[in-house]
Amino acid sequence: MSREGVAPVPEGEFLVPIEKYMFAGVRLGTRVSNAYLEKRGFIFAVRHDGLRIFDLRKIDERIRIAAKMIARYDPSKVVAVSAKPYGWRPVEMFCKFTGCRPIIGRFIPGTFTNPRASYYIEADLLVVTDPKVDTQAITEAAQLGIPVVALVDTDTPFQFIDLMIPCNNKGRRSLALIYWLLAKLVLIERGLLKPGEDLPVPPEEFETRLREIE
Amino acid sequence: MSTQSAQQTSRQPTMFGIEVPRCTSCNRPISPDEKGVRFLCPNCGQAEIWRCEKCRKLGNTWRCPVCGFEGP
Ligand SMILES: [Zn+2]
Ligand SMILES: [Zn+2]
Repeated sequence: MSREGVAPVPEGEFLVPIEKYMFAGVRLGTRVSNAYLEKRGFIFAVRHDGLRIFDLRKIDERIRIAAKMIARYDPSKVVAVSAKPYGWRPVEMFCKFTGCRPIIGRFIPGTFTNPRASYYIEADLLVVTDPKVDTQAITEAAQLGIPVVALVDTDTPFQFIDLMIPCNNKGRRSLALIYWLLAKLVLIERGLLKPGEDLPVPPEEFETRLREIE
Repeated sequence: MSTQSAQQTSRQPTMFGIEVPRCTSCNRPISPDEKGVRFLCPNCGQAEIWRCEKCRKLGNTWRCPVCGFEGP
């Protein structure tokens, strides 16, 4: 597996071994250039084929920080959304372990803004898988002043996002690993897991299976 | 709302009535009817970060006054 472009780091510096990050492809962006993310030091390199590569350290750091933020909220008022199928199982599993509320598939307009609707959810924090497609959730969070944490790829709009996790938000394995790490760290922050302890299931269990979305 | 009663109930007398929060990015006061956002610094949890609607929309950087963390 290629470790190209990753400086040698002492063991244990990252949340998971670098190989695991690499295998999941978390740092693979898109071919879309993104001055906004570049300016913030999130982009590590541009591959010869034009693919933007995220800085692994930033990804790792932001996962930790996002988990700290999520852990400060009442889980029943943290809503994690994914309109796109590859994010469905990661979001569901994340919520299963953390007690947050999943919304997968279509986000019904009014979910946050219409308290009279049967599908109304009171949210204090929104976690978004892909701001490019989860637009309705972000629009409603913006209207109500709900803070937004989002996985941000190089083709992702940045409007109304309060904390970004720069990463590959399109890959099946990448989404699984990111949400697995978030779930694990949220539980550690809450004292339900000891540092160094893992979730009872591996990141692969967070992956959307191809047959699920057929 | 009466400024006077707010002054009487708070332990520290407020000199100019109820304090209006200011955007952590642009320092502009955020009025109650504006769609700003408020959260504790994700990194240290010590400072309250406010972002006005405009800064949120433009993705303007905010910096935690306590730990120096920069978002979004
Ligand atoms: Zn502002
Ligand atoms: Zn801070």
